[in-house]
Amino acid sequence: MSRPRGRRIGIGAALIATLAGLALVPTLARRDDVVNFVFIVLLSITLAESWNILGGYAGQVNLGHAAFFGTGALVTRALWTAGANVVLAMLAGAAVAVLFGLAIGVPAFRLRGAYFAIGTLVLAEILRITIGNLLPEISTLPTATITRYRLADRYYLALVLAAVAVASVALLSRSRAGLGMRAVREDEDAAEASGVGALRLKLIALALSTALAGLAGGLFAYYHISYYPQHPFAPHWTFDALLITYIGGVGTLHGPVLGAVFYTFLKEYLAIHWVDFHLLIFGVLFMTIVLALPGGLVDLAGRGRRWMTHSSCPRQPP
Amino acid sequence: MLEVRDLAAAYGDLAALSGATLTVGGGEIVALVGPNGAGKSTLLKCISGLLRPRSGAISSQGRDLLALHPHEIVEQGLALVPEGRRLFGQMTVEENLALGAFSARARAEQRSSLDRVYQLFPVLEERRRQLSRTLSGGQQQMVAIGRALMTAPRLLMLDEPSLGLAPRVVASIFETLGAINRSGVSVLLVEQNVRAALRLARRAYVLEGGRVVGEGRARDLLDDAHVRRAYLGPLAAQ
Amino acid sequence: MSVLAQQLLLGVLIGGLYGLAAAGLSLVFGVLRVLNVAHGDLIMLGGYGAFWLFALLGLDPFLSLLLVVPAALAAGALLYWGLFASVVRFHDETRIKNSLLVSFGLALAVHALAVRLWTADERSITTSYGGEVLTVAGLAVPRVRLLSLLVAFGLIACVHLLLTRWRWGRAIRATAEDWQAALLVGIDVRKAYLLAFAIGTALAGAAGSLVSVGYSISPSIGLEWTLKALIVVVLAGLGSMVGTFVGGILLGLAEAVSAAAFGGPYREVVGLVIILVVLVARPQGLFGRS
Repeated sequence: MSRPRGRRIGIGAALIATLAGLALVPTLARRDDVVNFVFIVLLSITLAESWNILGGYAGQVNLGHAAFFGTGALVTRALWTAGANVVLAMLAGAAVAVLFGLAIGVPAFRLRGAYFAIGTLVLAEILRITIGNLLPEISTLPTATITRYRLADRYYLALVLAAVAVASVALLSRSRAGLGMRAVREDEDAAEASGVGALRLKLIALALSTALAGLAGGLFAYYHISYYPQHPFAPHWTFDALLITYIGGVGTLHGPVLGAVFYTFLKEYLAIHWVDFHLLIFGVLFMTIVLALPGGLVDLAGRGRRWMTHSSCPRQPP
Repeated sequence: MLEVRDLAAAYGDLAALSGATLTVGGGEIVALVGPNGAGKSTLLKCISGLLRPRSGAISSQGRDLLALHPHEIVEQGLALVPEGRRLFGQMTVEENLALGAFSARARAEQRSSLDRVYQLFPVLEERRRQLSRTLSGGQQQMVAIGRALMTAPRLLMLDEPSLGLAPRVVASIFETLGAINRSGVSVLLVEQNVRAALRLARRAYVLEGGRVVGEGRARDLLDDAHVRRAYLGPLAAQ
Repeated sequence: MSVLAQQLLLGVLIGGLYGLAAAGLSLVFGVLRVLNVAHGDLIMLGGYGAFWLFALLGLDPFLSLLLVVPAALAAGALLYWGLFASVVRFHDETRIKNSLLVSFGLALAVHALAVRLWTADERSITTSYGGEVLTVAGLAVPRVRLLSLLVAFGLIACVHLLLTRWRWGRAIRATAEDWQAALLVGIDVRKAYLLAFAIGTALAGAAGSLVSVGYSISPSIGLEWTLKALIVVVLAGLGSMVGTFVGGILLGLAEAVSAAAFGGPYREVVGLVIILVVLVARPQGLFGRS
């Protein structure tokens, strides 16, 4: 989609300004919890965009996303606490996640639609239970590492990762692969019939999706001082990614970003009175969006803009 | 009995009907013939409510059928025997027929309707406890027609009843359709077997490319040059 | 040996509840072709219904079924109208996908609400006869669980009769087979959908009640029971209430065997592995009509 040059410069400038602003947060913020908050937003953006690639662009609803997040966390934690450089450990974690994803992808993609969703959910649950049984003890960083802990390191890594995630999705959506994926999403049989290799595209989407999820998991392992090894495999990570993506706008670039900010805000600031309050709101919002506003909040904003400029939106024939 | 005016329908972007008009009078047998893909099935689907047309009008005895839900159209007395029979395969002959009398109006006449059906198709009474998917093609067609008769219809519509059936069976079924008509039920018959259809019907329409290209008395159409060449000649597919 | 036999017996006892839980899901999926992943949360609500009727009014949980089932029936009707009536306008894959998504949102919302209202604590109903145990052939049979099994079977049998003898029950079965043919014989398919969904929800509510008395409930049992129901439905296939009940018992037995062989922590895994194997061995899904 080509935009007029002036507009593109404007968007570029805005992006640079945003990144610069975000980069300054650790130095400017006086309280740690502000940095923590933005960190979580950035992590959520990465997780949501990673889900968005397979679920939004390729149209394959993956309910086992947590399995890749967890795998990344597991491998990263193990390598990093054994002495490896954290970035290398995260890359290793992502690599293992991708391999795992591709291994199950080929049989899993024989299932269509909801059966793929159920299958992935079941697989993730099996993994979570198994990890929980094999590694029931809490994983805590050694004291030496804790004293050296710098939140800013985690923060900048999160910023870079989120930028990479968003950039990947942006590049993908403009690429031929991205177009092919959208064709598969609309109608897989029709796409296959017109020569689009559906399985290959789904595997590409899966690889990219799991890589980013694995990296996000690695970041989680780097950030938290102690957690139960099965925790990053818990289905709520998948559900968070789904909620954020759909409410923001599934299959769009900035939808998950918008959703992540909204979601994290609601979660962190309303947790005071009611721990899972954000889930009630998001559950209801989610249902509303699926039934009435498939484009998510991004679409709502678009409709608002169109309404204000009085341009008519041609209605789909029933 | 039935009035269809300027009906246009499409599947997505594919236009299937572009302005079809026909009528069926009370007590008539009317045939609708034409090649594959002409829109005959689509027309029946629109009348029975399974497909929403893009434009046009369908009415029966003064009522606008387009405003009705499919099951309400059945209540009005219009019954469709769909292409491929569409029986409830996991149920017995008896159960299929019983379901035909689902609407309130049909239920009132259920006993007598059933007697009628068994009279017309004695083999169904013999096999009434048999699972319908284990029946032969011809017997399944009988169940399908019987089930439609159980709805106590004023107009019986059939979509390609002869499809996949042996000539002897087809002849027997067409004979029965005649008997049904003589008892007061109007019949709208969509058929690829043009010869048999035109022999049975009083009037007929020819549908090609989504519109009516010919109409008249069935006997006259049998002699029509275009019809003979397209549908009845030695080169035409039977 | 007798330890294994005891485990198998307990497996059968809970298997009956798995079957009841699955029956509701099977009905909904079989007739509406809609996947309600909030089914387990409806079970959870049924459990809390029975729990509070017992805690606040002292109503015996088996008796309170007389209240829970009609309430669940009504709730099912409301849920259908509010959420799924628009989803069924789609065809096939989109319908299943959208129903999965909508019910996902429902599950989250219901779960969050339950946590707020009743906290995350586990609850269980302990009646005066709750601790009684019958001894049959050297095996201990908890009376409450045996009663639950019988009630579960009774409910399944009721639904089976409804589907075969009741006019609308036959209409529901016809709709499940071929909704267009059902329309053509004068069945209002929308009504059939509504009834099927309501009955399915009623079965879920009943299952929940029985779970709260013989076992325990908490807001988080939703996902667990949805998965159990799914496993049994995939295993047993669609179309038979009694078959689903038997499938539930089989799952209960499989879990008992797995726990005996691999240890308690892996009890849950066997069912999940079963569903995965079945789903992958039949790429069209077990739900595909042969």
